[in-house]
Amino acid sequence: MKVVTGVIGNDIHVVANRLIELSLDARGFEVFNLGVNTYLEEFFDAAVETQADVLLISSLNGEAEGWAREVKLLKAKYKTLDDLVMIIGGNLVVGTAHADEIIPRYQNYGFDLVFHQVDLNTGLDTMEKYLKEKQSA
Amino acid sequence: MSNLLQEEREIILSNEYIDNFDFAEVEDFVKNANKELFISHHFAQKKKMLVQPRGGFPTYEKQFALSDFFVKANVDVLPLTIDSNTRLNDYATAKKMLRLSEESEKDMLNGYPLVNHGYRTTRKMITHFNKPVSLRHGTPDARLLIETAIASGIFEIEGGPITYLLPYSKNFPLDKAFLYWKYVEKVCANYSKLNLPINRESFGPLTATLVPPSITIVIQLLEMLLSLEEGVKSFSVSFSQSGSMNQDIVMGKVIKKLAAFYAQKIDCEDAVINLVYHQWMGAFPMDTKYAEQLISMSTVIASMVGADKIITKTNQEASGIPTKEANAETVANTQYLLRILNGLPTINDEEEEENITLQVQAIMEAVFNDPADTLWRKVFNSIKNGTIDVPFSPHIINHNEMITVRDSSKNIRIIKRGNVPIPDKCFEYEKSKCDLSKDTTDIVNDIIHDIGIMQ
Repeated sequence: MKVVTGVIGNDIHVVANRLIELSLDARGFEVFNLGVNTYLEEFFDAAVETQADVLLISSLNGEAEGWAREVKLLKAKYKTLDDLVMIIGGNLVVGTAHADEIIPRYQNYGFDLVFHQVDLNTGLDTMEKYLKEKQSA
Repeated sequence: MSNLLQEEREIILSNEYIDNFDFAEVEDFVKNANKELFISHHFAQKKKMLVQPRGGFPTYEKQFALSDFFVKANVDVLPLTIDSNTRLNDYATAKKMLRLSEESEKDMLNGYPLVNHGYRTTRKMITHFNKPVSLRHGTPDARLLIETAIASGIFEIEGGPITYLLPYSKNFPLDKAFLYWKYVEKVCANYSKLNLPINRESFGPLTATLVPPSITIVIQLLEMLLSLEEGVKSFSVSFSQSGSMNQDIVMGKVIKKLAAFYAQKIDCEDAVINLVYHQWMGAFPMDTKYAEQLISMSTVIASMVGADKIITKTNQEASGIPTKEANAETVANTQYLLRILNGLPTINDEEEEENITLQVQAIMEAVFNDPADTLWRKVFNSIKNGTIDVPFSPHIINHNEMITVRDSSKNIRIIKRGNVPIPDKCFEYEKSKCDLSKDTTDIVNDIIHDIGIMQ
Protein backbone atom coordinates (compact mmCIF):
# COMPACT_ATOMS: atom_id res chain seq x y z
CA MET A 1 0.00 0.00 0.00
CA LYS A 2 1.13 3.52 -0.77
CA VAL A 3 1.20 6.23 1.87
CA VAL A 4 1.90 9.91 1.35
CA THR A 5 3.02 11.64 4.55
CA GLY A 6 4.46 14.94 5.78
CA VAL A 7 4.13 17.78 8.28
CA ILE A 8 1.52 20.44 7.45
CA GLY A 9 2.14 24.17 7.16
CA ASN A 10 5.15 26.14 8.37
CA ASP A 11 5.96 23.47 10.93
CA ILE A 12 9.65 22.41 10.80
CA HIS A 13 9.53 19.68 13.50
CA VAL A 14 11.27 16.86 11.72
CA VAL A 15 11.97 14.14 14.30
CA ALA A 16 8.58 12.45 14.41
CA ASN A 17 8.27 12.75 10.65
CA ARG A 18 11.42 10.67 10.15
CA LEU A 19 10.27 8.12 12.70
CA ILE A 20 6.88 7.80 10.98
CA GLU A 21 8.67 7.10 7.71
CA LEU A 22 10.91 4.48 9.34
CA SER A 23 7.95 2.78 11.02
CA LEU A 24 5.69 2.76 7.95
CA ASP A 25 8.54 1.37 5.91
CA ALA A 26 9.11 -1.41 8.45
CA ARG A 27 5.40 -2.25 8.33
CA GLY A 28 5.69 -2.83 4.59
CA PHE A 29 4.13 0.36 3.24
CA GLU A 30 5.52 2.17 0.24
CA VAL A 31 6.20 5.62 1.73
CA PHE A 32 6.32 8.96 -0.04
CA ASN A 33 7.56 11.38 2.60
CA LEU A 34 7.14 15.05 1.69
CA GLY A 35 8.94 16.08 4.90
CA VAL A 36 8.28 19.15 7.00
CA ASN A 37 6.82 22.44 5.84
CA THR A 38 4.30 20.96 3.37
CA TYR A 39 1.15 22.69 2.13
CA LEU A 40 -2.22 21.06 1.61
CA GLU A 41 -2.09 21.29 -2.21
CA GLU A 42 1.27 19.50 -2.19
CA PHE A 43 -0.23 16.62 -0.22
CA PHE A 44 -3.11 16.18 -2.66
CA ASP A 45 -0.88 16.59 -5.72
CA ALA A 46 1.42 13.89 -4.36
CA ALA A 47 -1.53 11.59 -3.61
CA VAL A 48 -2.68 11.90 -7.23
CA GLU A 49 0.81 11.50 -8.64
CA THR A 50 1.65 8.39 -6.61
CA GLN A 51 -1.89 6.94 -6.67
CA ALA A 52 -1.67 6.69 -2.90
CA ASP A 53 -4.08 4.69 -0.76
CA VAL A 54 -3.45 6.68 2.39
CA LEU A 55 -2.69 10.31 3.15
CA LEU A 56 -1.14 10.67 6.61
CA ILE A 57 -0.74 14.31 7.68
CA SER A 58 1.01 15.26 10.89
CA SER A 59 1.32 18.44 12.92
CA LEU A 60 3.35 19.30 15.99
CA ASN A 61 2.89 23.02 16.49
CA GLY A 62 -0.89 22.72 16.17
CA GLU A 63 -1.34 24.79 13.05
CA ALA A 64 -3.15 21.81 11.44
CA GLU A 65 -6.41 23.23 12.76
CA GLY A 66 -6.18 26.22 10.42
CA TRP A 67 -5.37 24.07 7.39
CA ALA A 68 -7.79 21.24 8.10
CA ARG A 69 -10.78 23.49 7.50
CA GLU A 70 -9.80 23.67 3.83
CA VAL A 71 -9.52 19.90 3.32
CA LYS A 72 -13.02 19.09 2.01
CA LEU A 73 -13.14 22.07 -0.29
CA LEU A 74 -9.74 21.39 -1.80
CA LYS A 75 -10.14 17.61 -2.04
CA ALA A 76 -13.40 18.08 -3.96
CA LYS A 77 -11.43 19.76 -6.74
CA TYR A 78 -9.51 16.54 -7.38
CA LYS A 79 -11.50 13.89 -9.25
CA THR A 80 -9.55 10.76 -8.27
CA LEU A 81 -9.26 11.05 -4.51
CA ASP A 82 -12.62 9.62 -3.36
CA ASP A 83 -11.07 6.39 -2.08
CA LEU A 84 -8.11 8.04 -0.37
CA VAL A 85 -7.98 7.23 3.34
CA MET A 86 -7.39 10.47 5.24
CA ILE A 87 -5.50 10.36 8.53
CA ILE A 88 -4.19 13.16 10.75
CA GLY A 89 -2.11 12.95 13.91
CA GLY A 90 0.13 14.80 16.33
CA ASN A 91 -0.67 17.87 18.40
CA LEU A 92 -3.86 18.97 16.73
CA VAL A 93 -4.54 22.23 18.55
CA VAL A 94 -2.57 25.27 19.64
CA GLY A 95 -2.77 25.27 23.43
CA THR A 96 -4.82 22.53 25.08
CA ALA A 97 -8.12 20.83 24.32
CA HIS A 98 -9.68 17.46 25.07
CA ALA A 99 -9.51 14.64 22.53
CA ASP A 100 -13.31 14.16 22.88
CA GLU A 101 -13.82 17.57 21.29
CA ILE A 102 -10.97 17.38 18.80
CA ILE A 103 -11.76 14.02 17.18
CA PRO A 104 -15.32 14.80 15.99
CA ARG A 105 -14.18 18.23 14.83
CA TYR A 106 -11.47 16.77 12.60
CA GLN A 107 -13.80 14.01 11.39
CA ASN A 108 -16.03 16.82 10.22
CA TYR A 109 -13.10 18.34 8.37
CA GLY A 110 -12.90 15.11 6.33
CA PHE A 111 -10.52 12.79 8.20
CA ASP A 112 -11.24 9.07 8.64
CA LEU A 113 -8.85 8.64 11.54
CA VAL A 114 -7.74 11.30 14.02
CA PHE A 115 -4.90 10.84 16.52
CA HIS A 116 -4.39 13.60 19.05
CA GLN A 117 -1.27 13.02 21.17
CA VAL A 118 -1.38 9.29 20.54
CA ASP A 119 1.78 7.17 20.78
CA LEU A 120 3.20 6.44 17.30
CA ASN A 121 2.89 2.66 17.31
CA THR A 122 -0.58 2.68 18.84
CA GLY A 123 -1.65 5.02 16.06
CA LEU A 124 -0.12 2.88 13.34
CA ASP A 125 -1.68 -0.31 14.79
CA THR A 126 -5.09 1.37 14.69
CA MET A 127 -4.45 2.50 11.14
CA GLU A 128 -3.51 -1.00 9.97
CA LYS A 129 -6.60 -2.48 11.60
CA TYR A 130 -8.78 0.16 9.93
CA LEU A 131 -7.24 -0.49 6.51
CA LYS A 132 -7.70 -4.25 6.88
CA GLU A 133 -11.37 -3.86 7.79
CA LYS A 134 -11.90 -1.47 4.92
CA GLN A 135 -10.32 -3.91 2.47
CA SER A 136 -12.46 -6.85 3.56
CA ALA A 137 -15.64 -4.76 3.59
CA MET B 1 39.96 44.89 -1.39
CA SER B 2 39.03 43.44 -4.78
CA ASN B 3 36.79 45.65 -6.89
CA LEU B 4 34.26 42.91 -7.46
CA LEU B 5 33.73 42.36 -3.73
CA GLN B 6 33.49 46.10 -3.12
CA GLU B 7 30.89 46.39 -5.90
CA GLU B 8 28.86 43.62 -4.30
CA ARG B 9 29.14 45.27 -0.90
CA GLU B 10 27.85 48.54 -2.31
CA ILE B 11 24.84 46.75 -3.79
CA ILE B 12 24.13 44.90 -0.54
CA LEU B 13 24.41 48.07 1.53
CA SER B 14 22.32 50.26 -0.78
CA ASN B 15 19.20 48.96 0.81
CA GLU B 16 16.08 50.86 1.81
CA TYR B 17 16.59 49.60 5.39
CA ILE B 18 20.13 50.96 5.63
CA ASP B 19 20.62 54.62 6.43
CA ASN B 20 23.69 55.69 4.45
CA PHE B 21 26.39 53.10 5.20
CA ASP B 22 29.60 55.09 5.61
CA PHE B 23 32.38 52.70 4.48
CA ALA B 24 35.25 55.01 5.47
CA GLU B 25 33.84 55.76 8.91
CA VAL B 26 33.22 52.05 9.63
CA GLU B 27 36.73 51.16 8.55
CA ASP B 28 38.09 53.85 10.83
CA PHE B 29 35.97 52.58 13.71
CA VAL B 30 37.24 48.99 13.31
CA LYS B 31 40.83 50.19 12.98
CA ASN B 32 40.64 52.08 16.27
CA ALA B 33 38.28 49.76 18.15
CA ASN B 34 39.21 48.84 21.72
CA LYS B 35 40.89 45.40 21.89
CA GLU B 36 38.46 44.40 24.68
CA LEU B 37 35.75 44.15 22.00
CA PHE B 38 37.64 41.39 20.19
CA ILE B 39 37.05 37.87 21.48
CA SER B 40 40.29 36.92 19.71
CA HIS B 41 42.07 39.14 22.26
CA HIS B 42 40.40 37.29 25.16
CA PHE B 43 41.17 33.88 23.64
CA ALA B 44 44.81 34.91 23.38
CA GLN B 45 44.92 35.71 27.13
CA LYS B 46 44.03 32.04 27.85
CA LYS B 47 43.11 32.95 31.41
CA LYS B 48 39.98 30.84 31.76
CA MET B 49 37.14 29.27 29.84
CA LEU B 50 35.01 32.15 28.54
CA VAL B 51 31.34 32.09 29.53
CA GLN B 52 28.72 33.22 27.04
CA PRO B 53 24.95 33.03 27.50
CA ARG B 54 22.29 33.27 24.78
CA GLY B 55 19.79 36.07 24.43
CA GLY B 56 18.14 38.70 22.30
CA PHE B 57 15.19 41.05 22.79
CA PRO B 58 13.51 43.22 20.16
CA THR B 59 13.91 46.69 21.65
CA TYR B 60 17.14 48.56 22.34
CA GLU B 61 16.09 49.19 25.93
CA LYS B 62 15.45 45.53 26.72
CA GLN B 63 18.64 44.38 24.98
CA PHE B 64 20.57 46.99 26.94
CA ALA B 65 18.98 45.83 30.21
CA LEU B 66 19.79 42.18 29.38
CA SER B 67 23.43 43.02 28.65
CA ASP B 68 23.59 45.06 31.86
CA PHE B 69 22.34 42.03 33.83
CA PHE B 70 24.93 39.81 32.15
CA VAL B 71 27.77 42.19 32.90
CA LYS B 72 26.72 42.34 36.56
CA ALA B 73 26.77 38.51 36.60
CA ASN B 74 30.39 38.63 35.42
CA VAL B 75 29.87 37.55 31.82
CA ASP B 76 32.89 37.11 29.54
CA VAL B 77 31.17 37.32 26.15
CA LEU B 78 27.82 39.00 25.45
CA PRO B 79 25.40 37.43 23.00
CA LEU B 80 23.30 39.22 20.43
CA THR B 81 20.64 36.83 19.14
CA ILE B 82 18.83 37.95 16.00
CA ASP B 83 15.06 37.58 15.39
CA SER B 84 13.68 35.04 12.93
CA ASN B 85 12.39 37.60 10.37
CA THR B 86 15.83 39.13 9.98
CA ARG B 87 17.26 35.62 9.61
CA LEU B 88 15.01 35.20 6.56
CA ASN B 89 15.95 38.69 5.23
CA ASP B 90 12.38 39.91 5.89
CA TYR B 91 13.34 43.36 7.19
CA ALA B 92 9.88 44.81 6.51
CA THR B 93 8.17 42.44 8.94
CA ALA B 94 10.98 42.89 11.46
CA LYS B 95 10.50 46.66 11.26
CA LYS B 96 6.74 46.40 11.83
CA MET B 97 7.17 43.97 14.75
CA LEU B 98 9.86 46.14 16.29
CA ARG B 99 7.49 49.13 16.28
CA LEU B 100 4.73 47.02 17.81
CA SER B 101 7.16 45.84 20.50
CA GLU B 102 8.23 49.39 21.25
CA GLU B 103 4.67 50.65 21.47
CA SER B 104 3.10 47.82 23.43
CA GLU B 105 5.83 46.63 25.81
CA LYS B 106 5.02 43.15 24.53
CA ASP B 107 7.83 41.38 22.64
CA MET B 108 6.73 40.63 19.10
CA LEU B 109 10.11 39.30 17.96
CA ASN B 110 12.25 36.42 19.26
CA GLY B 111 15.49 38.41 18.98
CA TYR B 112 17.16 41.74 18.18
CA PRO B 113 16.43 43.06 14.66
CA LEU B 114 19.94 44.38 14.12
CA VAL B 115 19.48 45.65 10.56
CA ASN B 116 16.46 47.74 11.58
CA HIS B 117 18.18 49.20 14.64
CA GLY B 118 21.19 50.00 12.48
CA TYR B 119 24.88 50.14 13.31
CA ARG B 120 24.99 53.69 14.65
CA THR B 121 22.50 52.90 17.42
CA THR B 122 23.78 49.40 18.20
CA ARG B 123 27.40 50.54 18.37
CA LYS B 124 26.48 52.82 21.31
CA MET B 125 25.37 49.82 23.35
CA ILE B 126 28.36 47.69 22.42
CA THR B 127 30.99 50.31 23.11
CA HIS B 128 29.19 51.21 26.36
CA PHE B 129 29.68 47.70 27.80
CA ASN B 130 33.10 47.28 26.14
CA LYS B 131 32.79 43.45 26.17
CA PRO B 132 33.18 41.13 23.19
CA VAL B 133 29.84 40.41 21.52
CA SER B 134 28.98 37.24 19.63
CA LEU B 135 26.41 37.37 16.83
CA ARG B 136 23.95 34.45 17.02
CA HIS B 137 21.52 34.07 14.16
CA GLY B 138 20.83 31.21 11.69
CA THR B 139 20.83 33.19 8.46
CA PRO B 140 21.64 31.55 5.11
CA ASP B 141 22.15 34.95 3.43
CA ALA B 142 23.80 36.98 6.18
CA ARG B 143 25.63 39.50 4.00
CA LEU B 144 23.76 42.61 5.15
CA LEU B 145 23.53 41.36 8.72
CA ILE B 146 27.27 40.79 9.02
CA GLU B 147 28.15 44.17 7.53
CA THR B 148 25.85 45.80 10.08
CA ALA B 149 27.25 43.67 12.91
CA ILE B 150 30.90 44.49 12.30
CA ALA B 151 30.06 48.17 11.86
CA SER B 152 28.38 47.96 15.27
CA GLY B 153 31.46 46.51 16.97
CA ILE B 154 30.46 42.84 16.93
CA PHE B 155 33.69 40.99 16.23
CA GLU B 156 32.55 37.40 16.52
CA ILE B 157 30.27 35.96 13.86
CA GLU B 158 28.62 32.58 14.33
CA GLY B 159 27.34 30.36 11.53
CA GLY B 160 28.28 28.85 8.23
CA PRO B 161 26.76 27.61 4.98
CA ILE B 162 26.16 24.06 6.26
CA THR B 163 25.52 24.52 9.97
CA TYR B 164 23.07 27.39 9.52
CA LEU B 165 21.17 25.66 6.74
CA LEU B 166 20.82 21.91 7.27
CA PRO B 167 19.24 22.15 10.75
CA TYR B 168 16.90 25.07 9.98
CA SER B 169 15.65 25.06 6.41
CA LYS B 170 13.78 22.75 4.05
CA ASN B 171 14.25 24.51 0.72
CA PHE B 172 16.89 27.27 0.80
CA PRO B 173 19.39 26.35 -1.96
CA LEU B 174 22.62 25.06 -0.44
CA ASP B 175 24.80 26.30 -3.32
CA LYS B 176 23.57 29.85 -2.76
CA ALA B 177 24.32 29.55 0.96
CA PHE B 178 27.95 28.65 0.14
CA LEU B 179 28.35 31.75 -2.03
CA TYR B 180 26.68 34.09 0.48
CA TRP B 181 28.94 32.79 3.24
CA LYS B 182 31.99 33.22 1.01
CA TYR B 183 31.16 36.93 1.04
CA VAL B 184 30.94 36.85 4.84
CA GLU B 185 34.35 35.16 5.16
CA LYS B 186 35.95 37.68 2.81
CA VAL B 187 34.51 40.66 4.66
CA CYS B 188 35.64 39.22 8.02
CA ALA B 189 39.10 38.50 6.60
CA ASN B 190 39.47 42.02 5.23
CA TYR B 191 38.42 43.75 8.44
CA SER B 192 40.79 41.44 10.36
CA LYS B 193 43.72 43.14 8.65
CA LEU B 194 42.85 46.48 10.26
CA ASN B 195 43.05 45.50 13.93
CA LEU B 196 42.86 42.21 15.84
CA PRO B 197 41.21 39.32 13.95
CA ILE B 198 37.44 39.00 13.69
CA ASN B 199 36.55 35.53 14.99
CA ARG B 200 34.33 33.19 13.01
CA GLU B 201 32.55 30.37 14.83
CA SER B 202 30.84 27.32 13.37
CA PHE B 203 27.60 25.92 14.82
CA GLY B 204 28.50 22.36 15.81
CA PRO B 205 25.25 21.27 17.48
CA LEU B 206 23.53 20.96 14.05
CA THR B 207 20.17 19.26 14.72
CA ALA B 208 21.29 18.31 18.27
CA THR B 209 19.52 15.01 17.67
CA LEU B 210 21.72 11.90 17.65
CA VAL B 211 24.32 13.38 15.28
CA PRO B 212 27.34 11.04 15.44
CA PRO B 213 30.73 12.59 16.40
CA SER B 214 32.35 11.97 13.00
CA ILE B 215 29.64 13.88 11.10
CA THR B 216 29.85 16.81 13.53
CA ILE B 217 33.65 16.93 13.29
CA VAL B 218 33.74 16.66 9.49
CA ILE B 219 31.33 19.58 9.13
CA GLN B 220 33.30 21.63 11.66
CA LEU B 221 36.54 21.01 9.78
CA LEU B 222 35.01 21.81 6.40
CA GLU B 223 33.49 25.10 7.55
CA MET B 224 36.83 25.94 9.14
CA LEU B 225 38.68 25.28 5.88
CA LEU B 226 36.15 27.28 3.84
CA SER B 227 36.70 30.18 6.21
CA LEU B 228 40.51 29.96 6.43
CA GLU B 229 40.92 29.71 2.67
CA GLU B 230 39.28 33.16 2.39
CA GLY B 231 41.79 34.61 4.85
CA VAL B 232 40.05 34.37 8.25
CA LYS B 233 42.71 34.15 11.00
CA SER B 234 40.65 33.23 14.05
CA PHE B 235 38.11 30.42 13.98
CA SER B 236 36.16 28.45 16.58
CA VAL B 237 35.04 24.89 15.99
CA SER B 238 32.23 23.76 18.26
CA PHE B 239 30.02 20.89 19.36
CA SER B 240 27.33 20.30 21.93
CA GLN B 241 27.06 17.86 24.80
CA SER B 242 26.40 14.44 23.30
CA GLY B 243 24.97 12.60 26.30
CA SER B 244 28.14 10.59 26.96
CA MET B 245 30.99 12.24 28.85
CA ASN B 246 33.52 9.88 27.33
CA GLN B 247 32.42 10.58 23.77
CA ASP B 248 32.54 14.34 24.46
CA ILE B 249 36.10 14.15 25.77
CA VAL B 250 37.26 12.05 22.83
CA MET B 251 35.50 14.39 20.39
CA GLY B 252 37.33 17.34 21.93
CA LYS B 253 40.67 15.61 21.45
CA VAL B 254 40.01 14.52 17.88
CA ILE B 255 38.62 17.85 16.73
CA LYS B 256 41.61 19.79 18.16
CA LYS B 257 44.11 17.38 16.63
CA LEU B 258 42.46 17.29 13.20
CA ALA B 259 41.69 21.03 13.04
CA ALA B 260 45.40 21.76 13.41
CA PHE B 261 46.24 19.05 10.87
CA TYR B 262 43.86 20.22 8.14
CA ALA B 263 44.62 23.93 8.70
CA GLN B 264 48.29 23.16 8.21
CA LYS B 265 47.47 21.17 5.07
CA ILE B 266 46.20 24.34 3.36
CA ASP B 267 49.11 26.41 4.77
CA CYS B 268 46.96 28.21 7.31
CA GLU B 269 48.82 27.15 10.45
CA ASP B 270 49.06 30.82 11.45
CA ALA B 271 45.29 30.90 12.08
CA VAL B 272 44.19 30.46 15.70
CA ILE B 273 41.64 27.66 16.20
CA ASN B 274 39.55 27.62 19.38
CA LEU B 275 37.09 25.10 20.77
CA VAL B 276 33.58 26.01 21.89
CA TYR B 277 31.29 23.72 23.88
CA HIS B 278 27.51 24.06 23.98
CA GLN B 279 25.66 22.97 27.09
CA TRP B 280 22.99 20.32 26.32
CA MET B 281 21.07 21.42 23.19
CA GLY B 282 18.39 18.73 23.22
CA ALA B 283 15.09 18.60 25.04
CA PHE B 284 15.37 19.89 28.62
CA PRO B 285 13.54 18.77 31.77
CA MET B 286 10.57 20.97 32.79
CA ASP B 287 11.68 20.88 36.43
CA THR B 288 13.95 23.92 36.92
CA LYS B 289 16.00 22.17 39.62
CA TYR B 290 16.74 19.25 37.29
CA ALA B 291 17.60 21.73 34.54
CA GLU B 292 20.16 23.33 36.87
CA GLN B 293 21.76 19.94 37.52
CA LEU B 294 21.99 19.30 33.80
CA ILE B 295 23.57 22.72 33.21
CA SER B 296 26.15 22.12 35.94
CA MET B 297 27.01 18.73 34.50
CA SER B 298 27.53 20.35 31.08
CA THR B 299 29.98 22.80 32.63
CA VAL B 300 31.99 19.99 34.22
CA ILE B 301 32.19 18.17 30.88
CA ALA B 302 33.22 21.38 29.09
CA SER B 303 36.14 21.60 31.53
CA MET B 304 37.09 17.97 30.91
CA VAL B 305 36.92 18.65 27.16
CA GLY B 306 39.21 21.66 27.55
CA ALA B 307 36.89 24.11 25.81
CA ASP B 308 37.99 27.72 25.33
CA LYS B 309 34.40 28.97 25.58
CA ILE B 310 31.14 27.57 26.92
CA ILE B 311 27.69 28.64 25.75
CA THR B 312 25.08 28.38 28.48
CA LYS B 313 21.42 27.41 28.78
CA THR B 314 18.97 28.43 31.53
CA ASN B 315 16.70 26.54 33.91
CA GLN B 316 13.74 27.88 31.88
CA GLU B 317 14.88 26.17 28.66
CA ALA B 318 11.91 23.79 28.55
CA SER B 319 9.33 26.56 28.83
CA GLY B 320 10.35 29.18 26.26
CA ILE B 321 12.44 32.37 25.99
CA PRO B 322 14.14 32.85 29.40
CA THR B 323 13.92 36.01 31.50
CA LYS B 324 17.03 38.13 31.89
CA GLU B 325 17.13 37.15 35.57
CA ALA B 326 17.25 33.40 34.82
CA ASN B 327 19.80 33.99 32.09
CA ALA B 328 22.12 36.02 34.32
CA GLU B 329 21.77 33.44 37.09
CA THR B 330 23.23 30.72 34.84
CA VAL B 331 26.17 32.95 34.01
CA ALA B 332 26.93 33.56 37.68
CA ASN B 333 26.49 29.86 38.56
CA THR B 334 28.71 28.75 35.69
CA GLN B 335 31.45 31.20 36.68
CA TYR B 336 31.29 29.89 40.24
CA LEU B 337 31.48 26.27 39.13
CA LEU B 338 34.45 26.98 36.85
CA ARG B 339 36.24 28.71 39.71
CA ILE B 340 35.90 25.73 42.09
CA LEU B 341 36.47 23.05 39.46
CA ASN B 342 40.15 22.25 39.84
CA GLY B 343 42.52 19.30 39.50
CA LEU B 344 40.63 17.58 36.72
CA PRO B 345 41.85 14.09 35.77
CA THR B 346 42.95 13.18 32.26
CA ILE B 347 40.87 10.58 30.48
CA ASN B 348 42.13 8.52 27.56
CA ASP B 349 40.15 6.10 25.44
CA GLU B 350 42.46 5.17 22.62
CA GLU B 351 40.02 2.76 20.97
CA GLU B 352 37.25 5.36 20.71
CA GLU B 353 39.74 8.03 19.65
CA GLU B 354 41.01 5.85 16.82
CA ASN B 355 37.46 4.95 15.81
CA ILE B 356 36.35 8.57 15.47
CA THR B 357 39.62 9.71 13.88
CA LEU B 358 39.45 7.02 11.17
CA GLN B 359 35.83 7.85 10.38
CA VAL B 360 36.57 11.58 10.05
CA GLN B 361 39.64 10.96 7.88
CA ALA B 362 37.71 8.64 5.58
CA ILE B 363 34.87 11.11 5.07
CA MET B 364 37.28 14.04 4.57
CA GLU B 365 39.20 12.03 1.99
CA ALA B 366 35.99 11.25 0.10
CA VAL B 367 35.09 14.96 0.09
CA PHE B 368 38.55 15.97 -1.19
CA ASN B 369 38.37 13.27 -3.87
CA ASP B 370 35.20 14.73 -5.35
CA PRO B 371 36.11 15.86 -8.89
CA ALA B 372 34.77 19.43 -8.48
CA ASP B 373 37.27 22.28 -8.84
CA THR B 374 36.69 24.23 -5.60
CA LEU B 375 36.27 23.14 -2.00
CA TRP B 376 32.76 24.53 -1.62
CA ARG B 377 31.62 22.58 -4.71
CA LYS B 378 33.22 19.40 -3.37
CA VAL B 379 31.36 19.88 -0.09
CA PHE B 380 28.12 20.68 -1.90
CA ASN B 381 28.40 17.50 -3.99
CA SER B 382 29.27 15.45 -0.90
CA ILE B 383 26.13 16.56 0.89
CA LYS B 384 24.06 16.01 -2.25
CA ASN B 385 25.31 12.47 -2.77
CA GLY B 386 25.09 11.54 0.92
CA THR B 387 28.81 11.28 1.70
CA ILE B 388 27.82 13.68 4.46
CA ASP B 389 24.45 12.83 6.02
CA VAL B 390 23.04 14.73 9.03
CA PRO B 391 20.48 12.80 11.09
CA PHE B 392 17.17 14.66 11.41
CA SER B 393 17.97 17.51 9.05
CA PRO B 394 14.73 18.86 7.52
CA HIS B 395 16.52 19.99 4.33
CA ILE B 396 15.51 18.33 1.05
CA ILE B 397 19.14 17.90 -0.03
CA ASN B 398 20.03 15.80 3.01
CA HIS B 399 20.01 12.02 2.46
CA ASN B 400 18.51 10.80 5.75
CA GLU B 401 19.87 7.34 5.18
CA MET B 402 22.08 7.20 8.25
CA ILE B 403 20.55 5.77 11.43
CA THR B 404 22.06 6.27 14.87
CA VAL B 405 21.14 5.02 18.36
CA ARG B 406 22.73 5.17 21.81
CA ASP B 407 24.68 2.26 23.24
CA SER B 408 24.46 1.24 26.90
CA SER B 409 26.94 3.99 27.89
CA LYS B 410 24.83 6.51 25.92
CA ASN B 411 27.47 6.95 23.21
CA ILE B 412 25.94 7.77 19.83
CA ARG B 413 26.46 4.81 17.47
CA ILE B 414 25.93 4.39 13.73
CA ILE B 415 23.87 1.31 12.92
CA LYS B 416 23.10 2.25 9.31
CA ARG B 417 25.69 4.23 7.38
CA GLY B 418 23.84 5.07 4.15
CA ASN B 419 26.30 6.59 1.65
CA VAL B 420 28.66 7.85 4.33
CA PRO B 421 32.06 6.16 3.81
CA ILE B 422 32.43 4.87 7.36
CA PRO B 423 35.34 2.36 7.15
CA ASP B 424 34.23 -1.27 7.65
CA LYS B 425 36.40 -1.67 10.72
CA CYS B 426 34.77 1.35 12.39
CA PHE B 427 31.28 0.30 11.32
CA GLU B 428 31.82 -3.13 12.90
CA TYR B 429 33.06 -1.42 16.08
CA GLU B 430 30.00 0.86 16.20
CA LYS B 431 27.61 -2.06 15.67
CA SER B 432 29.40 -4.26 18.21
CA LYS B 433 28.35 -1.77 20.92
CA CYS B 434 24.64 -2.11 20.08
CA ASP B 435 21.94 -4.74 20.33
CA LEU B 436 21.25 -5.46 16.66
CA SER B 437 18.60 -8.11 17.26
CA LYS B 438 15.94 -5.43 17.65
CA ASP B 439 13.24 -4.84 15.03
CA THR B 440 12.36 -1.41 13.64
CA THR B 441 9.55 -0.84 16.16
CA ASP B 442 12.01 -1.35 19.02
CA ILE B 443 14.60 0.84 17.31
CA VAL B 444 12.07 3.63 16.80
CA ASN B 445 11.12 3.41 20.48
CA ASP B 446 14.81 3.48 21.41
CA ILE B 447 15.38 6.55 19.26
CA ILE B 448 12.44 8.34 20.93
CA HIS B 449 13.91 7.42 24.30
CA ASP B 450 17.46 8.39 23.24
CA ILE B 451 16.33 11.84 22.09
CA GLY B 452 14.54 12.55 25.38
CA ILE B 453 17.41 11.16 27.47
CA MET B 454 17.76 14.25 29.69
CA GLN B 455 14.08 14.86 30.38
